[in-house]
Amino acid sequence: MAREIYAYKCRKCGHLHYPFRMVCKECRQNGFFEFDIVPLPKKGKLLTFTKVYNLPAEFEVPTLGLGIVELENGLRITGQLEVDNPKMGMAVQGEVKVVRQGAYDKYYGMVFTAA
Amino acid sequence: MLSEGRRIMRNVYVVGIGITSFTRLEYPVSEIAAYPSMMALNDAGITDVDHLYVANMGSARINHQTALASAVVDSLSLTPAGAAVVENGPASGASAIKAGFAAVASGLHDVVLVSGAERMREVNNLEATDFIATLTHPLAEYIYGVTLPSHAAMFTRLYMEKYGVTERHLAMVAVKNQNNAMLNEFAHLHQPITLEGILDSPEAMTNNPYVAEPLRFFDACPVSDGGAAVILVSEDVAKTIDRPPIRLAGIGQATDTHAVHEREEPTDLLAVRRAAAKSLEMAGLTPQDVDVAELHDAFTILEIVESEEVGFFPKGEGHIALEKGQTALDGSLPINPSGGLKGKGHPVGATGVAQAHEIVTQLRGEAGDRQVNGARVGFTCNFGGFGNNVVCLTFVRED
Repeated sequence: MAREIYAYKCRKCGHLHYPFRMVCKECRQNGFFEFDIVPLPKKGKLLTFTKVYNLPAEFEVPTLGLGIVELENGLRITGQLEVDNPKMGMAVQGEVKVVRQGAYDKYYGMVFTAA
Repeated sequence: MLSEGRRIMRNVYVVGIGITSFTRLEYPVSEIAAYPSMMALNDAGITDVDHLYVANMGSARINHQTALASAVVDSLSLTPAGAAVVENGPASGASAIKAGFAAVASGLHDVVLVSGAERMREVNNLEATDFIATLTHPLAEYIYGVTLPSHAAMFTRLYMEKYGVTERHLAMVAVKNQNNAMLNEFAHLHQPITLEGILDSPEAMTNNPYVAEPLRFFDACPVSDGGAAVILVSEDVAKTIDRPPIRLAGIGQATDTHAVHEREEPTDLLAVRRAAAKSLEMAGLTPQDVDVAELHDAFTILEIVESEEVGFFPKGEGHIALEKGQTALDGSLPINPSGGLKGKGHPVGATGVAQAHEIVTQLRGEAGDRQVNGARVGFTCNFGGFGNNVVCLTFVRED
C-alpha cells in the first residue's frame, strides 16, 4: 500500500493545515480532533532549496538536498530533494519514502524529484 | 488591559553585569553560569538576591546536568533565594530577563539575578548541530535532516531572489562583525577576515566552503561555550547602588508558526517585527531613537533581515544600509558592536543575556575601543527557533 502524508482539514471552516495542529489556525473554533484527514497532493513547485554539507550524525551521506515545496492545493511542505540542479519554481513530484533511519525506528517523509 | 497593568508596574534597572570569555571552556556548565553571576554581584556591590533565573537550553542533553539553577544558586552561596531555569531555545536568555523583569516590576522581588550559560563544545560539531535541530518541528522538519543552517539557507535563497541580497552582502556582515569582535576581549573569534579572503580570492572556496548552499562557513556563528549575567533591581534598590541608571524600559515577545513552511509570506520574520514593535512601544520610543543595537546574527542574513523587521530600515533595504556603512561601528546605527553572535560567539542559553550585557556596557560608556559615542538608547533582538519565538529588549540610560 502506498504510504501517504496527510493534511488536516478543519471540520468547522474547511481550512487545510500541514502539519497537524490541535486547534484550527483559521477559525480557532474546532474542538479536540475535529479535523478530517486528506492525503497531501504529490505534485508541486519548488519554492526554495538548499544542499546541506553538515548533517546530524544519523545521516551517513556527504550532502543532503532539502526544499520547501508549494503543493497543488496551495499547502507547503518541507521535504528532501533529489534533484541535480534545482531551480526555484521548477515542477517537482513527491514520493513517501524512508527519510531518516534511527537506531530503532525508520521515519517516513516526502522526497521530491523533478517532475 | 495592558496599559492598566503598566500603570502599576515598577521601573526596573540593570545595576550589575558580568560575562565570561566566549570560547571553549573546560568548566562545568554550572560554573559557566556562576562565574559571570559573581562578576555581576561584584559590579553591583551586592551579596544578596531574592531570586536567580538561569537561562540554558541544553545542559540536560549535552552536559548531563539537570536543575542547573539549584546548582548555581548554591555555588554562589545565595541560598535560600529562589532559583529556576528558563529554557526557551536560543531565546532563553532574553526570556529569562523577561521573567526577572516581571518579578521585579510586579513587586514580587526587589533583586533578581539573571544568568545565561551554555557549554556546547563538550560534544562534537555533529551532535551540537543535531542538538540545536531538535527545536525544529519533529515530524515536519527534524526527521528530514533539517538543521538551523538549512533553514537559514532556504530563507536566504528566497531573500536573494526577492530583494537582491548577494553573497557579497552576507560576507560584508561577517567581515564587519568579526572586525568588531577584534575589539571585544570576550569574543570567541579573534580572527580578522577580508572580503578577498572569504569571497574573491582563488582560495575563497577553500577558506569559506558552503555549509548549506547558498550559505558558507563564514555566514554562520561559531559553536561556543560561555556565560553572561545581569542584575535587575527595583528603583528603590537602584538608588542605593552607584552605577549609571540603565532602565530596562521595553520588553516585547512574539511567536510564529513552528514549521517554517507554514508562514504566509516566507520572507517575513513576523515575530521579530511584532516583538520589536511591542518593546519599543512599551518604552515609548521608535526605531529611529535607537543609538546601538545587538541583533541575533546566528547567520549573516539574519542581521540584515532583523534590521528591517525592527524598523531601522525599510523592508528589503537592510543590505543597502549595510553597503553604505550605516551599521558599522562608526555608522549612524551601529549593529552588533560586540561582534554579534557571528564574532562574539553563540552559547545559545547565554546569548540573550550577553546581548543585554553589551548594551548596558555601551550605555554606561564602558565599551572601550568599540564604544558607540553618546549611546543612550540600546536595543536587543534575541531570536529563538527559526524566528518562531523572539524577545526584544529596549534599554534607556536615564541620567
